[in-house]
Amino acid sequence: MTERVDKHILKNGMVLVGEPMDDVESVAFGFMLPGGASRLPEGCCGAGSVIVDWIFRGAGDRNNRQLGDALDGLGLHRAGSVGSSHIAVGAALEAENLPQALDLHADIILRAHLKEDQFELARQLAIDSVHALDDDPRQKVMIKLREQFYPSPLGRSTLGNIEELTELTAKETEKIVKKTFNLSETIFAVAGKYDFDSIAEQMEKLFETGEKKQLEKVKFEAKDGEYTHLTNEGAQVHIGVMTETVKPTDDDYYNARVAVSVLSGGMSSRLFTEVREKRGLCYAIGARYHGLKEAAGILCYAGTTPENGQETLDCVIGEFDRLSEGISEEEIQRAKVGLKAALILQSESSSSRAGGIGGDYYMFGRVRSLDEIKKKVEETSVDSVLKFLRNNKFKDFTVVTVGPKELTVK
Amino acid sequence: MEFKKKKLENDMFLIGEVNRSAKSAAVGFFVKTGARDETREINGVSHFLEHMLFKGTERLSALEVSEAFDRTGAEFNAATGEEYTIYYARVLPEYLVEITELWIKLMGPALRDEDFDIEKNVIKEEIAMYKDLPSFDVMDRCRSLHFDGHPCGNSVLGSEESVTNLTSEQMRSYFVSRYAPNNMVLACAGNFDWSQICSAAEGPCGAWEKQAVGRELGDCAGSKKTTRVEKSNLAREHICLMSPSVPAQDPRRFSASLLASIVGDDVGSRFFWDIVDKALAEEASMQFGAMDGTGVFQSYIRCSSEKVTEVLEAIKGIFSGLSKSGISKDELTKAKNKTLSALVIKNELPMGRLLDLGFNWIYLEQYRTIEEDINSIKAVTVDDVHSLIEQFDLGDFTQLSIGPAQNSS
Repeated sequence: MTERVDKHILKNGMVLVGEPMDDVESVAFGFMLPGGASRLPEGCCGAGSVIVDWIFRGAGDRNNRQLGDALDGLGLHRAGSVGSSHIAVGAALEAENLPQALDLHADIILRAHLKEDQFELARQLAIDSVHALDDDPRQKVMIKLREQFYPSPLGRSTLGNIEELTELTAKETEKIVKKTFNLSETIFAVAGKYDFDSIAEQMEKLFETGEKKQLEKVKFEAKDGEYTHLTNEGAQVHIGVMTETVKPTDDDYYNARVAVSVLSGGMSSRLFTEVREKRGLCYAIGARYHGLKEAAGILCYAGTTPENGQETLDCVIGEFDRLSEGISEEEIQRAKVGLKAALILQSESSSSRAGGIGGDYYMFGRVRSLDEIKKKVEETSVDSVLKFLRNNKFKDFTVVTVGPKELTVK
Repeated sequence: MEFKKKKLENDMFLIGEVNRSAKSAAVGFFVKTGARDETREINGVSHFLEHMLFKGTERLSALEVSEAFDRTGAEFNAATGEEYTIYYARVLPEYLVEITELWIKLMGPALRDEDFDIEKNVIKEEIAMYKDLPSFDVMDRCRSLHFDGHPCGNSVLGSEESVTNLTSEQMRSYFVSRYAPNNMVLACAGNFDWSQICSAAEGPCGAWEKQAVGRELGDCAGSKKTTRVEKSNLAREHICLMSPSVPAQDPRRFSASLLASIVGDDVGSRFFWDIVDKALAEEASMQFGAMDGTGVFQSYIRCSSEKVTEVLEAIKGIFSGLSKSGISKDELTKAKNKTLSALVIKNELPMGRLLDLGFNWIYLEQYRTIEEDINSIKAVTVDDVHSLIEQFDLGDFTQLSIGPAQNSS
C-alpha cells in the first residue's frame, strides 16, 4: 500500500493536509476551527452548538435559503459538529464538485451573515437539543460523564445548558465567532480523489490573510473522581464509568490502546464475555479510549435494568481492576490484530481518513502513517501492556448513572 | 467489478461481486425471515435466534466463536428486521475464506438450553433499552398501529411477555422451517477469489435440506388511526406518521425514494425549510420504507409539547401543497444529486456494496450494477413523482405520538 500525505501551510498558519486515495470517486473534507466547547468564554456554554447552525444561515452573497440550495445542488453530505477543542465543518461529495464546495465554505467560515433573526432560530434549536437529551438517557449519561471526569472546562457539554443558552446574545456569539475562527489555528483536511496543487492554490486565494494570530491556551483545573446520579423513571439504569489514562502523545499510548482492546475490543473481550455472555446482565456494554490533547481516559457504558444495576457496576469496575493481574498471549494477539484491522478497514472511507489526518495533525503536529501506527501496535507485548497497567493503576473512577435507582460506588 | 453466481442443487444461491482493487472484503448471509413471518405466540423469535447463532455449534462454544472472529480482526454483526435476518462481516481480504467458513458453521447452531436461558436475559435488557429510546419506540408502535393486524406490524424484538414464554423447542422448529437453503443467499463483495468461496461453501451449504418456505404477502392500506401514548418521564413529543407506498419490487421505488428526500431529507427538504429551519421542531424527517409486497412513507418528528399543533399544521400544509401543486424540477434535481452522491460514497466500500447485493437478491432475485441504479435514479421525471403523489396521498396517514402527560395533539 503506498501512502502519501500532502501538506501545505498558508502564511497565516492555516494548515492544509491531504491523503489521496486510489479507486474512489468521492472526496471528503473538513475544517477544524478552534471554537470547541473548552475554548468558549465562561458562561457561554453551548455557543458552539448555536454557531455551527448560525454560520449556515446565510453567507457571502447568498441568504439562508440560497446557501442551503447551493450546498444541496452539489449533492453535498454535510457534517458539522462541536467537540471539546474544535468546531468541525465539512462534507463528503463527488470529487468534481469540490472546488465549488470550498468556495461556499470560505463564505460560511469568513463571511457568514450572522443575522439577529437567524440567531434566535439557531439558539432555539440548540435549547431544544438540550431538552431532547432528557429523552435520550444513554447520550445524557456520556455527556455528564465527560463533564464530571475531565478537568474543567475540557469536559464541558458541547450542547451547553439551558440557563446559559437562554442568556446568550447574538452580539456576544458574533464576538466568539470572530475570536475563535482563527485561521492561524485552523486545520483543513481532505481525503479521496483530488488534485492537491489546485486545492492549495484555491485555498490560498480563499483563506490567505498573511496575518498570524495566537490563540489563548486553555487553562484547566484538576478534578477528582466522584459519583453523580440523575433520576429518570425509565426502564433501565444507564451507567457511565471513566478513569484516567495516558494521553495520545504519551510513550505508553499504544500500550493503553491494546489494554482497552483486551477489555472491550471484540466479542471475546473481557467486558463482553464477563458482563453479557456469562451473566446476561446487559445488552449494551463497552469501553473505549477517549483522548484529548490535555487529558485522556477510558470511558465505559453499560445499560441494564435497575435490579441488575449494582451487580453490573461492580462487575465492570472489577474487570478494570483485574486487568493488571494478568493477560494471556492470545488476548494480546487478538487485541493487536483487531486494532490493526480496524485501521486498514477505516482507511477505505474518505470521510474517516479526512477526520483521521486532521485529528492527527492537531494532536501530534503531523500525520502518522498507517505503517507507523501498525508498527507501534506490533511492538506492544504482554509484558509491555502489563508493565504499563501496573505502573498506571486505575485509581479513581468517575461514575454517572441515569435511571430510577441510585447505585453505590465502593 | 465482476458479478458471479452459482445455484446449488438445493436451490441455494451463492453470489459475489469481485473488486480486486478493494482493500477489504465483505461476506454475509441474507435470510428471508423476520418478525412478519412469526405468529403472535412466538413473536421475537427471529431476533432471539439471531443472537443464538453466536452461541455456537455442537463443536464450537460461544467463546470459541467470538475468539475465532476476533483472531482475524473482523468487524462483524447481525441484524433482524421485519422481513430479513442478516449476518455479515468486513475483513481484510486474506481472512475472507476463513470467516465465510465460520459463518457457514454458525448456520447450524446448537441452540443449547443453558445458552438460551442466559441470552433470554440479554434480549429482555435489549427490550428495556429500546423502551428508553422514544425515537425508536414511537416508530415501532406506529408500525404496529398502521399495519393493524397485517404481519408487517409485528414487533422485531417481541414483548417482554412473548420472549419470556418462548421455548427453545419453538425456536428450533422455527429455525428448521425458515433457515432453509432456498430461503437464503450467501453473498460476498470486494477483494476476494470467487473459486475459493465456492469451494468453501458448496459442500456444507449443498448438504442443507430444502424446505417448503413461503410468506404471506399482501398489500396494506394502513389503519389511518391516530393514537397518543403518555409517558411521565419524557420531555419531548415524539411523533411518527405512516402512510402506504410502493413495494420493494416496484420500479417506482426510485421515484418514491426521491419523493421522501424532497419532503423529508435532513437538510434542504420541505420539512427542513418549513419546520426545522424555523425552529418549530428540532427534528423532522421522512423516509421511504420498501418492503416485500408493500411499502410505507414514514416520518419522525420531535418537538416540544407546546408546538405540536403548529408542527402538525405545517406538515399537513406541506402534504396538501404537494397534492395541489406538486414538486418543482429544481427540487427533483437537488434530491437526485444528494441521492446519487450518497450512492457513490456508500458503494465505495465493499460493506456498502454487500448490502445492496444481498438485498437486491432477496427482494428482486436479480443482480443490479451501481450504474443501473444510477440510471434508474436519473431517469425519474417530475411527472413520475406527481403520479406517485396522486396515487398515495401523504396526508392520509396513521399517526402515533409519545410524549409527556397532559397534552393533546
